[in-house]
Amino acid sequence: MGSRASTLLREEEIEEIKKETGFSHSQITRLYSRFTSLDKGENGTLSREDFQRIPELAINPLGDRIINAFFPEGEDQVNFRGFMRTLAHFRPIEDNEKNKDHTASEPLNSRTNKLLFAFRLYDLDRDDKISRDELLQVLRMMVGVNISDEQLGSIADRTIQEADTNGDNCISFNEFIKVLEKVDVEQKMSIRFLH
Amino acid sequence: MPRKRDAAAMDDVGIEIDGDLSDSDDGVAKRRGNRRQAGGRGAAKGRGRGKKADSEDEDEEEEDEAPRGRRGANKKKPAKKRGGDDDDESEDEGPKRKRGGGANKKKGGKAQDSDEEDSEEEKGKKGKKRGGKKGEKEEEDTKGKKGDAKGKGKDKDDEKDKKKKKKKDDSSSDSNSGSDEDEEESMSEGEMAQLMEEVEEKKKLIANIRNKPWRMGRRLTHLREAQQFVDKFEGALGKGKGRKWYAYKVMMTKKWIKFQRDFENFRTACIPWERKIKEVESHFGSSVASYFIFLRWMYGMNLVLFGFTFGLVVIPEVLMGLPYGSIPRKTVPREEQDTAQDYSVLMDFNGYCKYSVLFYGYYNDQRTIGLLKFRLPLSYLMVGIGTFGYSLMLVIRTMAKNADVGGGDGEDGEFTFAWKMFTSWDYLIGNAETADNKYASITTSFKESIVDEQENQKDENIHLRRFLRVLANFLITCSLGGSGYLIYFVVKRSQEFANRDDLSWYEKNELELIMSLLGLVCPMLFETIAELEDYHPRIALKWQLGRIFALFLGNLYTFLFALFDEVNTKLEEEQSIKNASIWAMKEYYANFSRMVNDSEATPPPMNPADVIRGPCWETAVGIEFVKLTVSDIQVSYLTILIGDFARAVIVRFLNYCWCWDLEAGFPSYGEFDISGNVLGLVFNQGMIWMGAFFAPGLVGINVLRLLSSMYYQCWAVMATNVPHERVFKASKSNNFYMGLLLLVLFLSLLPVVYVIMSLPPSFDCGPFSGKEKMFDVVMETIDLDLPAFMGTLFSYVANPGLIIPAVLLMVLAIYYLNSVSEAYKNSNMELKKKMQMARDEEKNRRNNTDSTNQVMKDLEDLLPNRSLIPPAPPEPEKPPEPETKPTKTKPGSAGKGVNLQKDVALASPNPNTRGPVSRPPAPRGGGPGPGGGRGRGPPPR
Repeated sequence: MGSRASTLLREEEIEEIKKETGFSHSQITRLYSRFTSLDKGENGTLSREDFQRIPELAINPLGDRIINAFFPEGEDQVNFRGFMRTLAHFRPIEDNEKNKDHTASEPLNSRTNKLLFAFRLYDLDRDDKISRDELLQVLRMMVGVNISDEQLGSIADRTIQEADTNGDNCISFNEFIKVLEKVDVEQKMSIRFLH
Repeated sequence: MPRKRDAAAMDDVGIEIDGDLSDSDDGVAKRRGNRRQAGGRGAAKGRGRGKKADSEDEDEEEEDEAPRGRRGANKKKPAKKRGGDDDDESEDEGPKRKRGGGANKKKGGKAQDSDEEDSEEEKGKKGKKRGGKKGEKEEEDTKGKKGDAKGKGKDKDDEKDKKKKKKKDDSSSDSNSGSDEDEEESMSEGEMAQLMEEVEEKKKLIANIRNKPWRMGRRLTHLREAQQFVDKFEGALGKGKGRKWYAYKVMMTKKWIKFQRDFENFRTACIPWERKIKEVESHFGSSVASYFIFLRWMYGMNLVLFGFTFGLVVIPEVLMGLPYGSIPRKTVPREEQDTAQDYSVLMDFNGYCKYSVLFYGYYNDQRTIGLLKFRLPLSYLMVGIGTFGYSLMLVIRTMAKNADVGGGDGEDGEFTFAWKMFTSWDYLIGNAETADNKYASITTSFKESIVDEQENQKDENIHLRRFLRVLANFLITCSLGGSGYLIYFVVKRSQEFANRDDLSWYEKNELELIMSLLGLVCPMLFETIAELEDYHPRIALKWQLGRIFALFLGNLYTFLFALFDEVNTKLEEEQSIKNASIWAMKEYYANFSRMVNDSEATPPPMNPADVIRGPCWETAVGIEFVKLTVSDIQVSYLTILIGDFARAVIVRFLNYCWCWDLEAGFPSYGEFDISGNVLGLVFNQGMIWMGAFFAPGLVGINVLRLLSSMYYQCWAVMATNVPHERVFKASKSNNFYMGLLLLVLFLSLLPVVYVIMSLPPSFDCGPFSGKEKMFDVVMETIDLDLPAFMGTLFSYVANPGLIIPAVLLMVLAIYYLNSVSEAYKNSNMELKKKMQMARDEEKNRRNNTDSTNQVMKDLEDLLPNRSLIPPAPPEPEKPPEPETKPTKTKPGSAGKGVNLQKDVALASPNPNTRGPVSRPPAPRGGGPGPGGGRGRGPPPR
């Protein structure tokens, strides 16, 4: 499914996106208009610069990482399908989400997938582990120059020490889940998309 | 290789279920889509097109269904068999399958049948509805379609029959989703009712889950379970006549919940100064913010007190009472009238101020005023007492609430740093300024945690520390005792001085000078001594607060002492004036009657400005309190202006041309003085409580002060202060502040109650003039306004024979409650210990593999080429692998694996979820053919 410059979305496309992401019809059309408004190049895809224009992302210390999450490996354009796929992580878990199909492939907005998304933000080199260096980088982005490097190092060490259960001095995804067990990820990592 | 096969089986099953489910799921989704469209969603664009596509889809879907079911069934069979001989697998899949299987065996495809028909019916209805909504043209269209669908449905029946047979043939086969839907459809009325009840119950559980005294894990489990249950069966319930109504109800509940959430958001947005405080907090840490939160709380409380005082006392008097100048107490005396409007006089709250509603003396002793017969004196007394009652209640309730919060998550420091690291950024921040604040606050919170951490890890010479602490406390006790004696000495001397006239300036102001000197020097001294103790800054702050509080008590004590002296002299003076005034009045009347020579004629009243009047000690006390408050405001504002602002300006701008670095060196910028400010606030409040009875206007002044102080101090702290060197986290509850406040409240309660109960009020001013005691107002009301038996009742209640047992009972109750709470506390501690132990144990168990790991690692270090060796030896890692493996692989399939396990585990412990469903539908046990037992549907075709 290629991207199309036309402003109208075909019904089949909507249906497919609906199937894949669970967004409702109106949400998809609404997000599509948002997509096109972000798309300054008007070629049906978004580039990193397009994302950088969103103030929330420009300010966010992890903004680059979040933007990266929209792009498949090695590409620097994302079409509407990809855009929606990433956004689907943030769809709130609805009460009436059909619970009959727990055994089915998990929807993109499940707790695990939300956590995985967050995990990827910190896992800079994509080796499924958060190492001390990666933590340090993130920390530097978050607190800037206000804390000495030494203290930053000790913070990173402490963080790993708290979370690490198998002693490899890295935080694996499982350990990450464990750490955030009590955090209400379902709620925190949800955006109330308009219906 | 059991494990591998296991995994394979799981995969297989997963995929099967997957395929099957997503299909049936589609059906649901589409149906839902239809419904939505029928509701008239799409306005203009693409409506017709969408509808057509939809209807086509429906048809296709229906045609598809039969073969799919067959296919699914066939495929299921091997999977299940494989699962059967595999423990792990059957554990995961067991319950559901068993359940489904049981149901299926009994009722076979009938359920499926009814399902389809139901949906058809629904479609038919939809069609009608759609037709009704849209124009005639479309109606035709839909009718055609409907007919079409019906025809298809008939075809379908045949197909279904076939399918049913197939199903019965391989009766063990089933698909998860299919069975689920079967179960839902095939329920009798009784079961429906039961299910409905259960759903309601679960809903209630979801609503109340926050209040349940459970641990978080259990709560979550229950919540998830309940939500699943509700989601699963809510839809099933509505099938039939009540469906629309039910759907409507569900929708309204959801709307209502959403509204509540929005309202909650709105309420949060309405909390005053939240942003200001957050800003301060992000730069200065929670300890400074705790002061502002305290200030805000105080403002809220004073606002209520203000409402009481003004609503029930001041405004009625202004509106309905006699106007100014009508009676002596409301008139400035003639000798004062010339200067009554001078600025200096007004600033001393004399002149017109003194004879205004601000003070006690202005109020008249008429029993009722105005058309409404408002009992002002009674109301005055009640407001005076109610102020204390309300404050007490509020302080104690807040303390109890805070204690609750503090116990909950105060010490839950398992993943402090990790949480801060992973969850602190607020992703919705889109404003550069806010982002700066957030950066600052993250930094501050990290710093706070570091301080806590350092404190925890401090290993120290315990004996030296103890010795130093004892020494410090000794020193401080000495200096407190010394200053106490000094105050006592000075007060005694000032009483001596009071009788002499030849006083130097120093002797006149000795008391004030000494007091302010002590207040200046001692806190600094305490702070220096506290260095010895080396407490965590949070605890150090508490000690500091307690010590300065003890010092300030001396202040309070001298003030009250002086005041009571004054009151006593005024009381004596009053006695003579009372006689004089009565004599003068008589004289006036006598003169009048003698001049007019007519004993019948009533003399014109004396000009109120000329009447001889008493000193009105209540007003004097009120003026004293108001003056004190105002000067306190002035002093604290000036201190901020000079001590912080001027200092900051000098440091900032003189730094360019100075010998040494002013910013880093000696004066530097000021830090925010938490202890001083909190105590200032507490003592100020004490003044308000004491003074409010004598000067109702004081509460208004205080509200203004707190309001301005909030803005002023927020500005000052942001503009002129620097954060503390060791930013520390305030304890979550402000209970220490509250404790101080409670103490001050009690201390200020005492003199006021003493005055109300036992001092005679002035004879010619205030609402209680002419009474023996102020409290007599209540007695009078009881006697005159309430029926007689109430009076006797009160006299019984006031009987010592009743009061003493009541007091005894209360003491017993306190004792009992205290011991109960003690016991709870103990068991709480015990449980906490147990939890900690369990946690440690778990960690140890995990780390056991780790310890060997460590050895291996050391060995590896010795090897020359480390990087070639796999980082972790495989053997010890093995045991936990089955858990970790799936998640480490690809996300999609991995998450599924984990989730699958979890979900089943969640569902199994609660028997209720399965209860109504696993049971074979009794009334239909040997039911007739397909559709026979479906009591409410249309007869089978």
